Amino acid sequence: MARVRVHEPRIRNPGRAEADAALALAHRLPRLVLEARRVSATLAHGLHGRRRAGPGESFWQFRPFHPGEPASRVDWRRSARDDRLYVREREWEAAHSVYVWIDRSASMAFSSDLAQCPKIERAIVLGLALSDAFVEAGERVGLIGLLPPRASRRVVETFAEAIAADRAGLEADLPPEAPLRAQDEALLVSDFLTPVSELAPRIESLSASGARGHLLMIADPVEETFPFAGQAVLEDLEGGGRLRVGDAAAWGEGFRTRLAEHRGALADLARRRGWTLTLHRTDRPASEAALRVLTLVGASRAGQGLTGAA
Amino acid sequence: MSFAAPLVLAALVALPAIWLLLRVTPPQPRLIAFPPLRIIRDLAPRRETPARTPWWLLALRLLIAAALILAAAGPILNPPPALDGAADAPVLLVVDNGALAAGDWERRAGVLVEQGEALAREGRSLGIVATAEPTPQVPLLAPAAALERLRAIRPAPHLAGRSAALPAIAGFLAEHPDAQVVWISDGVAGPEEDGFAAELADVVGERSIVVFAEARAPARALAGTDNTASGLVATLVRAEPNGRDAGVLRAVDLRGLPVGETPFAFDPGGTETTARFDLPIELRNAIARVEISGEGSAAAVSLIDERSQRRRVGIVSGASLDQAQPLLAPTFYIERALDPFAEILEARGSASEGVERMLDDGVSVLVLADVGALEPAVEARVEEFVADGGLLLRFAGPRLSAGSDALVPVRLRRGGRTLGGALSWDTPRTLAPFTRESPFQGLAVPEDLGVRRQILAEPDATLPERTWAALADGTPIVTAERRGDGLLVLFHVTADASWSNLPLTGLFVDMLRRTIAFSAAPASARAQGGEDVGPPVAPRQVLDGFGAFVSPPPDAVPVTRAFAGRAEAAHPPGFYGPVDAALAINALLPDDRLAPLDLAPLDAVRAPLEPAETVDLRAPLLAAALVLLVIDSLASLWLGGHLGRLTGRARRTGVAAAIVLGALGALAAPEAARAEGAADDIGILSREVLEGAFETRLAYVITGDARIDETSRAGLDGLSRVLARRTALEPGDPVGVDPGRDELAFFPLLYWPITPDRPLPSAEAIRALDAYMKSGGTVIFDTRDALTHRPSGAPTPETAYLRRMLATLDIPPLEPLPADHVITKTFYILRELPGRYDRSETWVEAMPAIAAEDVVRPARSGDGVSPIIITGNDLAAAWAIGAGGEPMYPVTGSGTRQREMAYRAGVNIVMYTLTGNYKADQVHVPALLERLGN
Repeated sequence: MARVRVHEPRIRNPGRAEADAALALAHRLPRLVLEARRVSATLAHGLHGRRRAGPGESFWQFRPFHPGEPASRVDWRRSARDDRLYVREREWEAAHSVYVWIDRSASMAFSSDLAQCPKIERAIVLGLALSDAFVEAGERVGLIGLLPPRASRRVVETFAEAIAADRAGLEADLPPEAPLRAQDEALLVSDFLTPVSELAPRIESLSASGARGHLLMIADPVEETFPFAGQAVLEDLEGGGRLRVGDAAAWGEGFRTRLAEHRGALADLARRRGWTLTLHRTDRPASEAALRVLTLVGASRAGQGLTGAA
Repeated sequence: MSFAAPLVLAALVALPAIWLLLRVTPPQPRLIAFPPLRIIRDLAPRRETPARTPWWLLALRLLIAAALILAAAGPILNPPPALDGAADAPVLLVVDNGALAAGDWERRAGVLVEQGEALAREGRSLGIVATAEPTPQVPLLAPAAALERLRAIRPAPHLAGRSAALPAIAGFLAEHPDAQVVWISDGVAGPEEDGFAAELADVVGERSIVVFAEARAPARALAGTDNTASGLVATLVRAEPNGRDAGVLRAVDLRGLPVGETPFAFDPGGTETTARFDLPIELRNAIARVEISGEGSAAAVSLIDERSQRRRVGIVSGASLDQAQPLLAPTFYIERALDPFAEILEARGSASEGVERMLDDGVSVLVLADVGALEPAVEARVEEFVADGGLLLRFAGPRLSAGSDALVPVRLRRGGRTLGGALSWDTPRTLAPFTRESPFQGLAVPEDLGVRRQILAEPDATLPERTWAALADGTPIVTAERRGDGLLVLFHVTADASWSNLPLTGLFVDMLRRTIAFSAAPASARAQGGEDVGPPVAPRQVLDGFGAFVSPPPDAVPVTRAFAGRAEAAHPPGFYGPVDAALAINALLPDDRLAPLDLAPLDAVRAPLEPAETVDLRAPLLAAALVLLVIDSLASLWLGGHLGRLTGRARRTGVAAAIVLGALGALAAPEAARAEGAADDIGILSREVLEGAFETRLAYVITGDARIDETSRAGLDGLSRVLARRTALEPGDPVGVDPGRDELAFFPLLYWPITPDRPLPSAEAIRALDAYMKSGGTVIFDTRDALTHRPSGAPTPETAYLRRMLATLDIPPLEPLPADHVITKTFYILRELPGRYDRSETWVEAMPAIAAEDVVRPARSGDGVSPIIITGNDLAAAWAIGAGGEPMYPVTGSGTRQREMAYRAGVNIVMYTLTGNYKADQVHVPALLERLGN
């Protein structure tokens, strides 16, 4: 019989170890693939044009005024210095950002002796690593409800500090209700062990404007296989509820059916919103899930909305 | 099988209820933290029926409950019969534990403890009376304390004094009117115990009384022994015919070696019999203890003391009565020789008169010292005496050689034979070694023994077999002949020192003693034994209740020699007084007879003395329940899934312990290896000596006398500190060496205290010492005898020892320390070298004589360092300091100054050994400078 372990709450705050692991993982990810996809996606949609003129906040360059343009574009301050008219161009700033949310509720601090590490550790590593990978690829990444999107080189450290400082996040089982813009993408890392009926409103609210997203479901092997037998009392780590099971082996059959239904409902929810669902078990290497999520993000950019559970 | 509390068994009815209860209370399930429960709980809210307790666990628990209930009910196998009467009334338990109860004590103790346990189970308080122990009053004991007391009762070696216990019994019964009485009796009425039962009946009155006793008292006892002329007769008694008719008596000597065995048999209906040991008289006299084999009681042992072996010796001398010079009297030596182990009677008046009186007094040995002729009637009486088993011991003398009678073992020649006289060429003769047949065989003949005159026996065919001792030339000196039951012994020399110096030797005493051993104790001896009242004799070896010799108990009281009673609590049976003249006290007197106990006056219930083999099943049941409970706990843990964790932890703990142990072992291993290395000296150098090679250390010789060695060590330690403080030399710790074993070459100085009581050093040691001195070492021999040494007197033991030791050494010529010797100048300027004493002279190697033309210089030295310094001032004792730096020994002179001088002397000696004649050369410096200047 598998032995399970509930870790102390401290583990749910990312530390140096998680940050380092995330960086190490991020460095191993195939950046070039994403780069190539990003370039093609940019060409196809014109969404990713950066380092060129466009709508934005920051200065990009002055260019001569072309006749026929609206006169309001003339930058008079610059034009006053010589005889020609100039137009101030701003850098094109994509309003397209990736928002990450990592579930740090009590149920995440769980591991069995079949797993390589607790769920929360894997979740943080994956979340931070993907964030770093996105930044490396030129994306701007933010934390839902915590940090606005940014493209900082130190995104991992910044995120880790922000997450660690976020006490409320320890209790939240669901992502905050923060509507994203249509061009944004969401990455929700969680065990999604909440009823779909509770999760669905949040997903809908996040994607209300058409933002797309990716669900990364972290699961302990025990949570899938339920390898217990005999008499047992099951304890819920968040609700505090207990369930006495007379014969765990027999009960496990029903459990697995229920779990499959739950995941089906989850996949269905994601599909309906155009999101993707990735299942990751903690007895598998983290890079598997990271690669898949990167692929999915790239694919969604390419307009080939690939959805469904892996 | 019965139950102490049968009502408790009703609780067994509750077992089905327990079964139901246990059945629905399954073991605690394991707790599993399971996050997906949140989604499952609302998806699958139905609950399952919990698992039932496994049937085997249920059975186990029912078994535990049943065992506990049964144990609480107090099951007893073979319960002893219960007493009648009120269940909570106190019980008076009277136990006969006299010597007669010891024979079957195991059964008796079994019944006793069983009764006690049964009464304790009923919760009754007990009063306990052991009839052989003095009982002033009977306390009421709680059941547990009473059981302890019962188990502690042992049979006493003396007879039970029931009547003495009667007042205590009466007192107890008066105090507790409702008490019941149980009497575990031996069934024997002692010699002075008539009517105890009747008195007890009076006291007991209407109360119920139970008597545990055998139907017929099985005890057999030895009333006494009588060492008659014809054999040792033992009297056996028993209380009543009991079927134990035959048996074996065993006799052992004082050292416990068996002397003989003889069977005995009672008449089937009789209560008294005798048995006789048919043994030679000397063997009989060696018997110290007769016992009924296998009886195992002090009453079946009869001890025999010297009273039955102590003979009355009558001495009659033919010499004139006016003994102005007692040392010349012929009877003096006989008296002195026989006095320790015989009772001496000396006759007054003429010889015949004396002999008659002696015979009237019933002596067993008659000594005639140079009695020539007796009156015919007296002679006839003496002959009769000898024929009846008496011992006639005669000594030769001028009268005997002149007279003639029949009371001699061999025919004698008239006149005597003079050896080594003025007119004889012979020298005094000594005795030939005793032959194997001689009773004196084994005695050593002193070398200075000389026989100057003797009476010669006529050569005869029977002479050799009658000869007990002969001179070196074969002429008999002691002859003996059996006549009737008695013995006739003739010493062919006088009983005084006029013919030989035999009476002056220890051999004479031994010869007389062995001769006397042939006499039987007269029948009247015991009766008259109590006449002499000497000092009290303390018990030396006493019997315990089972008849085995033990050390006397602390409350055993000495007795006077006149004591003729039975053994009692204050005087347990045994031997009193010294080994040579022991007084035996027995449990029974020779006239004591036993009688069966008459229980008729008592309206008693008689119960057989049979242990019921009671087994209390409570303890086994409780133990079984406990074991089952442990199994149940383990099973519950296993079902709850905790066992795996426990074993896992245990396994981890075990691994950790193994690691720790391994680490410790690894740490210890080099230590052990190092220790082995230390033991294995490098070549001939021991470890400490090797260390001595790396720094300058003072050394002393280990003499083997721990106190002196410690003084030497402490002394050199003190000197080392002084040296370190005052001079440039900082010596290491002093080291003790064994010259025969250790290499000495590393030490500049060896301190050797002389211990005359130790063996001389070995040849190797002397050789090593010689080499050491030849190669430049200096040895200080300290005889430490300045206080006892007198220059003109005999050498002290120390000096003698030193001389013996140095005899084989090549010692240079010595001289007393001259005033200008360089040793007095090496560091301090000293006049002498004092130590603890200051009067002994110090001797050093003699220096070359001063040539007449030499300039007188303040310091002089020979070539090199004096290899030897001899002093008697006990230097080390003056230097010795304790752990705190305080001096260990006082010095003779004014303390501070002399100790300071002793330290200075030590500094000078060390400096001398290290620098040699450097200081002496210093005086040449001006001359050298002058020569250089030129």
